[in-house]
Amino acid sequence: MMNLEPLFWLTPTSAILALIFAFFFFRWMMAKDEGTETMQRIAAHVRAGARAYLSQQYRVVAVVFVILALVFCYMAYGLRVQNPWVPFAFVTGGFFSALAGYFGMRTATYASNRAAAAAQESLNAALVVAFRSGAVMGLVVVGLALLDISIWFLVLNHFIGDDGIPGQKLVIITTTMLTFGMGASLQALFARVGGGIFTKAADVGADLVGKVEAGIPEDDPRNPATIADNVGDNVGDVAGMGADLYESYCGSILATASLGAAAYAAQPDMQLKAVLAPMIIGALGTLLSIGGIFLVRVRQEGSQKQLGAALSRAVNLSSLMIVFGSLGVLHLLGIDNLWGIWGAIVTGLITGIVIGYATEYYTSHAYSPTRKIAESSQTGPATVIISGMGTGFLSTAVPVLAIVAGITFAFLSASGWSFANLSGGLYGIGIAAVGMLSTLGLTLATDAYGPIADNAGGNAEMSHLGPEVRKRTDALDALGNTTAATGKGFAIGSAALTALALLASYMEELKMAIARIVSKTGEYVFPNLDRITSSEEVHALDLTTLVDSFEVNLMNPKVLIGLFIGSMMAFVFCGLTMQAVGRAAQSMVDEVRRQFRDIKGILEGEAEPEYAKCVEISTKGAQKEMMIPSSLAIIVPVVTGMVFGVAGVIGLLAGGLSAGFVLAIFMANSGGAWDNAKKYIEEGHLGGKGSAAHKAAVIGDTVGDPFKDTSGPSLNILIKLMSMVSIVMAGLTVATSFL
Amino acid sequence: MDIHLYFTLLPEALVASHLAPEEFGKYQAVGVHRRSSSQSLFFEIDPDFDSGYLPVRELSKRCWPHEHGSPRKSTYLGIYRVLEHLPVQAFGDLYVTTDDGRVLRLEKSAYEEEGDSNLYLYQEFVPVQPRVASSLPPSKFCRYITDRNQPVSVDRIVFCDLGLDDLAVDPVNGHGDDLPYGDLAHLRDCLSSVWRKGTKDVKVVNRFLRRQIHFRMIRRGFFVGGGDEMLFYPMPSKEDMESVHYEWWRSAQTSL
Repeated sequence: MMNLEPLFWLTPTSAILALIFAFFFFRWMMAKDEGTETMQRIAAHVRAGARAYLSQQYRVVAVVFVILALVFCYMAYGLRVQNPWVPFAFVTGGFFSALAGYFGMRTATYASNRAAAAAQESLNAALVVAFRSGAVMGLVVVGLALLDISIWFLVLNHFIGDDGIPGQKLVIITTTMLTFGMGASLQALFARVGGGIFTKAADVGADLVGKVEAGIPEDDPRNPATIADNVGDNVGDVAGMGADLYESYCGSILATASLGAAAYAAQPDMQLKAVLAPMIIGALGTLLSIGGIFLVRVRQEGSQKQLGAALSRAVNLSSLMIVFGSLGVLHLLGIDNLWGIWGAIVTGLITGIVIGYATEYYTSHAYSPTRKIAESSQTGPATVIISGMGTGFLSTAVPVLAIVAGITFAFLSASGWSFANLSGGLYGIGIAAVGMLSTLGLTLATDAYGPIADNAGGNAEMSHLGPEVRKRTDALDALGNTTAATGKGFAIGSAALTALALLASYMEELKMAIARIVSKTGEYVFPNLDRITSSEEVHALDLTTLVDSFEVNLMNPKVLIGLFIGSMMAFVFCGLTMQAVGRAAQSMVDEVRRQFRDIKGILEGEAEPEYAKCVEISTKGAQKEMMIPSSLAIIVPVVTGMVFGVAGVIGLLAGGLSAGFVLAIFMANSGGAWDNAKKYIEEGHLGGKGSAAHKAAVIGDTVGDPFKDTSGPSLNILIKLMSMVSIVMAGLTVATSFL
Repeated sequence: MDIHLYFTLLPEALVASHLAPEEFGKYQAVGVHRRSSSQSLFFEIDPDFDSGYLPVRELSKRCWPHEHGSPRKSTYLGIYRVLEHLPVQAFGDLYVTTDDGRVLRLEKSAYEEEGDSNLYLYQEFVPVQPRVASSLPPSKFCRYITDRNQPVSVDRIVFCDLGLDDLAVDPVNGHGDDLPYGDLAHLRDCLSSVWRKGTKDVKVVNRFLRRQIHFRMIRRGFFVGGGDEMLFYPMPSKEDMESVHYEWWRSAQTSL
């Protein structure tokens, strides 16, 4: 067992602290006033719906996990083409991700009526209840992620022996740990796709029949799909976003640790520091996030601007502190190239901030792109769609260029300003992603706060609370919309960096797989016919040699084939998820119409609709529809690897990453812009509610709903899951590529 | 069962019903099976008046409960030239009903002229339904449109005034982009033609009611009358809408 740096213990300590504070905030929120009997009844409906959805979702996911775990067991212990720890790492990754989603959603569904009740007192009281409830999600995600990483690191450090090759133990530990990312990724994809289909089916169904056909307002208790709509906010925006960022967070730390182990394999002392650095920076960010949460407050009756400033103050201050704190951590670790690695961390943070601002610029109606979409609604829905798509396409430029600049600076900074130092540069890209996500506890709190505020508004509306209360919950909700858009930009940006780091880690995983083949058969022949016969030779392979040996270059048709398949995957996945929303929404429309027809007294408010039936329809629709796109994300990398080998897989991942990243930005931003263009009109501009412009904008928003809440966010996970599957299946790919 | 007499505006009709105003409004808006939705505007009419044209003396004969005892929802007593045969004194409260059956009751109030020289946009409901730009304030408009000396006139009229934002004072350069009316350029032209004093006082913007009414755009309220006799039904203030009448106000803004 190797001796760990004392600073390592900051990781499990901060994880436990995060969980303690999450528990403290949960208890604090639970002690708050629950509001009137009506408020409690409405919240109970939402809670029951959310619980029903989650238990059904977890049952389906559990079956998939058991099947895959058995397959991995067979591959590891039967065929011996896989790391024997993979089945267990895979299951724990999924389990912790699911646990984080469960706690986050449980908290959110208890918090909505309490936030609405607090809004009766003051804006600040409501903000603090909603935000600290959102913080439970943020802290549970980072707490469980760091705890899982710490436990696995300690366990593997204990069980994995030193095989005599210097630096090899940490390479094995980190590449093994990386495989638990697949469990987290798969669970995240199910959560995002399932949650996204659920929430949009309910939303679109509720709007189409409730608002358009029956003319009843949003969040009206007479609408049978209203509760499902509120449940959807929780399963999509709380559990889905939490699982998404949980796996990004784990993925970035684990990929960076793996790259660090590979980059510094020849310097065992420095290697440990490079492996621990991302974990410790994550730990520091968690501590700063806890501090930042206490900074979020306004005066008893603050303005909308002050609300935004309160959140920005906390996020900005924590980010600023991580800039200096990470420098301190690197200094205490005594890591080589301190300023270069620190530069990469700062680059990641700046890239995240730039993407966040760009997202806000293109999706907020405070700026011209969204206002122009709103103006185009005066000439009908066709021009709304055209201008929304145009804005979405244009909005990809800044995030892509920010990522390009981020990758360049992070790589060069960490590599000592030389493109020749490939492994050092790739470590820089990984740690840039860690920097971007370091204060995830806080940024995720601002995300999870949004749906809580939204549900609080719905609860206030359905409970007929006074105009002053509704005004406060509306202010909280409006701020939540902005933070949600920024959060999505952050999730996409971090996904791009993490996926790139995973791509590099894949190459390391290949070495492990080749080593297993060599130890079993005595030799391994590369596609370029180079032959190696000992594990020492395998471990001596550097990244450039490995790329050459597998003929990963653009002249190799297998790479091009992979690129095409990867690009296609992004579009096919979007098509499948969007059509799934359409079908699930149609079922919801039919059900709402049925209830209006068959249950007498609904529209008079004399009979209660069957809310649970709508939740059930959305749940069933989501479970049924999520299977094909999710399965595709697993099957395609495996088949590509088995047919086209490593070169095909690298092409697939590169194509999926580049097309998926740009498509995800396009979909999230055009959807967000359509949504806010409609809100701009609803505020009374360009004719206001009920005008021809509003009708056109509503159509744009309906089209944009699955863009921004189902397909777009799911793409983040798709590109990472394909990388994770490739990593886990590296053994199979190396052993059985047919062409 | 009590029999109520209602004068509906969309379309013009005199209707007897056992339903109280709130119930009648819901029935008009969404029907029995709640499979339709439309706005409804109606006055409660005091049946205690004589008319040789409208069968108000036969209310109890025409409007009787169903055989199984349920109330009769609507019995049409007249669907043509009803307004001109109703005495102004018979008009009770006005009920404004949204698409999903939320009913707002408006009471009569004393009318006071505004001391300005703004332009106006009127939506007429009965007996004809044009939308009209005018330089005349409501009382003068009512007198003008029912003046038999004019080339075209009606006996009585029901109308409301609609918001114009800055176009009320400057139809050429004023900001009107946030108005929900279609064809804004045409509206500006119409308002401009009545803005130039001495040319004309009234200009038709649309010849008939094309879509539903944006209730939120009703500025002061509804007007009923002819000649010098005019009733005024003011809309509640925005503050009252957001507090006292919130359910109705929310529903009124949802209409698509």
